[in-house]
Amino acid sequence: MQQSAWRHFDYWLLGAVAILTILGVAMIRSTVAENIELANHPQRQMIFAGIGFVFVFIAAAIDYHLWASLSTTIYVGTVVVLATLYVVGTAAFGSARWFEAGVINIQPSEIAKIVVILTLSSFFTRNRERIKQFSWLMRSLVMAVGVVIWILLQPNMSTSIVIMVLWFALAWASGMRFQHILILAGIGLLLILISIPLFPILRDAKVINQYQIDRINNFIAPDEAATHGENYNINQALISIGSGGLMGQGYGHGTQVQLRFLKVRWSDFIFSAMANEFGFVGIAVMMLLQLFVIYRCLRAARIAMDTYGALICFGVATLLAFQGMVNIGVNLRLLPATGLPLPFISYGGSSLLSLLLGIGLVESVVLRHKVLEF
Amino acid sequence: MKQTLASPVPHRSSLVRRYQFVALFFAAAAVAIVAQMIRLQISPDAIELRSRGQLYTQELHTFFPARGEIRDRWGNVLAGNQTVYEIGVDLQTRSRNPETIAFTLSRVLSTHAEYNRPEYYDSVFTAASRQPISGTVYAVLADYVTETEVAEIRRWSQEYEQLYQDRADDKNRQTLQGLIIRPHLMRVYPEKDLASGVIGFVNRQGEGFFGVEARYNPLLAGEPQTLPMSTDPTRAQQLPAIPDGATLILTLDREIQRMAEQVLDDAIVANGAEGGSVVILDPRNGEILAMVSTPRLDLNQYWQYSDIFPGATPFNRAVSRDYEPGSVYKVLTMAGALDSGAVKPETTFLDTGSFAIGGYYIHNWNWGAWGEQNMTGCMQHSLNVCLAWVASQMGTDIFYSYMQKFGIGRLTGIDLDGEVPGRLKIPGDSDWYDVELGTNSFGQGVAVTPLQLSAAIASVANQGEMMSPHIVMAYVENGQQYTIPPRPISHPISAETAHTLTEMLAVSLEDEASDALVPGYRVAGKTGTASIAGPTGLYDSDLTNASFVGWGPVDDPRFLIYVWIEKPTSSPWGSVVAAPIFSQLAQRLVVLLNLPPDTIRLAMAAQASTTP
Repeated sequence: MQQSAWRHFDYWLLGAVAILTILGVAMIRSTVAENIELANHPQRQMIFAGIGFVFVFIAAAIDYHLWASLSTTIYVGTVVVLATLYVVGTAAFGSARWFEAGVINIQPSEIAKIVVILTLSSFFTRNRERIKQFSWLMRSLVMAVGVVIWILLQPNMSTSIVIMVLWFALAWASGMRFQHILILAGIGLLLILISIPLFPILRDAKVINQYQIDRINNFIAPDEAATHGENYNINQALISIGSGGLMGQGYGHGTQVQLRFLKVRWSDFIFSAMANEFGFVGIAVMMLLQLFVIYRCLRAARIAMDTYGALICFGVATLLAFQGMVNIGVNLRLLPATGLPLPFISYGGSSLLSLLLGIGLVESVVLRHKVLEF
Repeated sequence: MKQTLASPVPHRSSLVRRYQFVALFFAAAAVAIVAQMIRLQISPDAIELRSRGQLYTQELHTFFPARGEIRDRWGNVLAGNQTVYEIGVDLQTRSRNPETIAFTLSRVLSTHAEYNRPEYYDSVFTAASRQPISGTVYAVLADYVTETEVAEIRRWSQEYEQLYQDRADDKNRQTLQGLIIRPHLMRVYPEKDLASGVIGFVNRQGEGFFGVEARYNPLLAGEPQTLPMSTDPTRAQQLPAIPDGATLILTLDREIQRMAEQVLDDAIVANGAEGGSVVILDPRNGEILAMVSTPRLDLNQYWQYSDIFPGATPFNRAVSRDYEPGSVYKVLTMAGALDSGAVKPETTFLDTGSFAIGGYYIHNWNWGAWGEQNMTGCMQHSLNVCLAWVASQMGTDIFYSYMQKFGIGRLTGIDLDGEVPGRLKIPGDSDWYDVELGTNSFGQGVAVTPLQLSAAIASVANQGEMMSPHIVMAYVENGQQYTIPPRPISHPISAETAHTLTEMLAVSLEDEASDALVPGYRVAGKTGTASIAGPTGLYDSDLTNASFVGWGPVDDPRFLIYVWIEKPTSSPWGSVVAAPIFSQLAQRLVVLLNLPPDTIRLAMAAQASTTP
C-alpha cells in the first residue's frame, strides 16, 4: 500500500470515536468517584483505549482482504477458544465469560462479534449468487450458530442476540429472500412456543437463567413496590434521566450518580448517569456523535471497493447501532434489561477493544476504497 | 466453485439498497429513543421523576437537644446528663468475627444485669453473624455502656490487632473489626433517690414521668429540629446549632431536703408507721424548700418503679394523696372564725362534752367535758366540741366561703405532675349533710393533700396572704435566666387575724410544754390526729393519721413545716408522734437556713433600728 493512501484515512470517523471514548473515560471517572474498589476503572479504560487506538491503525494498515483468506482459520480458532472456555470455565468458576490473560482480562465473546462480521462477510461475498437458495442461507446460519451456541451456554444472552442480529443484517444485505425470512420467522416462532413449556428444563440446564425470565416479566408487568432488583435499577435510571433536566446537574454533581442510587452506573446505566450530569443537551450531543460514527461507517460501505469491504462496514455499523440503541432503550425503559454496553462509553476493556478493532477494519476499507480521482 | 471477492458494481448497489432497510429500522428506533427522551423531560411523569430524585438527595434528620439539667436553689445538680455508648456491629464488614465480638461483649459488660446472662453471648453471636439483607447493615448489640467499659473494649480490640499483626489473612482471625461505638446522652441523677418524688424520671425513650421531669418535659427536652440533610457526603452542610433544653433551678434546698428525708425516715421506723410526708416551705413566697414522701426511688434505676410503688402507692404523697387531716385543720376553722368576727380569742365556751349538730353529737377526743374554755384553750386542748360550736357560730355560708378562699378542694396549681384536688363537700352537694359543718371544723369529712393544707395555713404565717406554692424558682434557656416571681393567689384573712391566731397557737404550744417547741425559737403550731375511714365509710380502725403543722419564728415566720405520719403504731396521737418530728426538723432547719435564735435576731434588729 502506498503512503499516499493514508490521505483517504477517515479522520472524521476516528475523531468522533476518540471524543466518545474520552467522554466515556470522563464519565466512568465521575461514576466511580470515592469508591475504592472501583478506583482503577478509569485508568483501566484508558489503557484499553490506548491499546485500541493502536489497533485501529494496525487494522487500517493491514489489507482487510487478508482476513478473508484467513477466514476459516479465524473462525475455527474462535470456536475452539469459546468451547474451551466453556468447558474449562464451567469447571472452574461456574461463570465462564472471562479469559484471564495476565493482568488484562479478555472476554472472547466480545472479539467473537468482530470475527463473526469478518467470516460472515467473507462467506456472503463468496456465495453472493447462491445466498438466494435456502440451503446456502442455512449454511450461513449454521456458521453463526456455531459461534453463538458457546456464548449462549456461558450464559450470555445479550451477546448471542447481537451476533444473530449481525447475521440477519448481513444476510439481508447480501440478498436473502423475503420468503426465507418468513420461513425462518415461522420456525423461530414455533421453537419459542415449544420451548416455553421447556423453560424450567432450559433453566436447569443453565441455557437460560431465572433472572432472564424475571427481567422480561418485570418489563411487561413492573412491580412498583420493588426497591431492589431489575425494576429498581430501571426506576433509578428514569429518575436520573428525569432529574437531569435540560442541562444536567453538572459533571461530578449528579445526585443520582454520586449517591450511587444507580447501579452499574459505569457500564449498563452509564447513559442515565450522563443524562443526570449532562442533561438532555449532553445526551443529545453524545447520541449525535454516535449517529455520526454510524453514518461514517455506512459511508465507508457505500464507497468500498468491493462487496466484502461493504459488508464489513455494514456489520460494524449494525453492531454499533444495535448495541447503542438497545443500551439506550433499556435505560429509557423501552426494552427489558439486558447487559449491552453503550459503544465507546461504557466501562469494559474487551468491548472497547473489539469496537475499536471494528473501526480499524472500517478504516482499512476506506483506505482501499474505489478511488475516483481524476 | 469459488467466486472472487471483487464484485461487480450492480451487486454492490443492491447491497446498499437492501441495507437501507436495516438502516430504516435503526432510524425508527432512534426516533423512538428521542421521543422517549423528550417525554421523560416534559410529560407529567417528569415532574414526578424529578421530585423523587430530589427526595433521594435529602434525608430528614431529627436533632434532639441535650435535656436540660435540674438543679437545686444553690445550683447543685439533681438531674444531669452523662455520655454513654451504644455498641453495634456493621454487618457489611467482611472481616468481622462474631465469636470474638460476642466473647468480648459478654465479658466486658458482665456488670450490666441485662447482659450478664448466658443467652447474651448467643444473641450477640447471632446478631453479628447476620448477613446484610434489604438495607439492614447495622445491628445494636448493647446500649448504655459506660466510658470505662468502652475503653476496655478498645483495649481488647488493640490487643487482638497486635496478636494477629502478621496473620492478617488468617480466616479464623480474632478481631473486633466492625464494631461501631456511638455516644449519646443518658439522664443521670447524682443524688440517686434524693427528692425523687419531686424530680421524677426520664425513661430511655426520653419521656418524662412524674414530678418536674413530667411537668416541665417540653422545656427540659427542648425543641427537636427536623431538618433535611443532604445525603451526599461530599456536600458540606453546617450542622444546626440546637439549643439545649432549659435548665431548671428548683426552690428545693438539697441539704434541707436531705435532712428532712433523714428525719422522716427515722421517724417512720421509730413509730412503726406505714409512710409519711414532710413539706417545708417559705410562707413569704410559697417556695418549697423540701418535699418528702415515702417510699423513694433511685431515679437511676427507674425500672424498679413498679416494685417500690406497688398498686396505687403515690409517687409523691405530698401532692398526690389526699387524706382527712384531723385537728390541724382547726387552724383554718379558727382563722375563718376570728377573721369573720364570729369569735374573739377571749370568747369563752362552756364545754359540756358534746355538741348537737345536724342530728348528731360531736364529742371530744377523750370523750371528756373540758368546762369553760377561751379560744386559745380550745385550740390548745384541741376540743372538737368547741370548734364545732365555733363553726356553727360562723354559719355554713361563711365557713365554706373561708374554706374555699383557703383553696381547700381545689388544686394549688403547684408545678408538679399528678397533683390531686382533695375533696371539700359544700352545702348543695348531694352528699353534704348538716353534720358536715361540725365534722369539717375539726378536719374530718374533708380530704386534703399535705401541700394543700401547708399552702393554706402558710397564709396565717404570711400576714393573711396565701402564696402560690411552687417548686421551680427559675429556668435558664439559651443563656438567659427567667425567674418565676412569687405569686399571691388569695388573701383569705387579714394580717391582724393572722397575727392573733399565730400568737394563740404559739401560746397554746408553750402552755402545754409541747414536744413541738424549738429551743431558742418561738413557733406556732397545731397537732392533728385523724381517724381513718374504712372502705365502708365508718371510722372503725384504731389506726390514725398523725399530723403537725407549725411555723416560725412567730414574729417573722420564715418557714412552715407540715408533717404527716400515716398509721403510726407507737402511738395514735399527733401530739406524741408528729410534734417531736416537727421540733427535730425545725431545730435542724434553722441551722441550715442560718436563722439566728430569736433573742439574737431581735437584738440585732433593735441595734440596726437604733443605729443612725
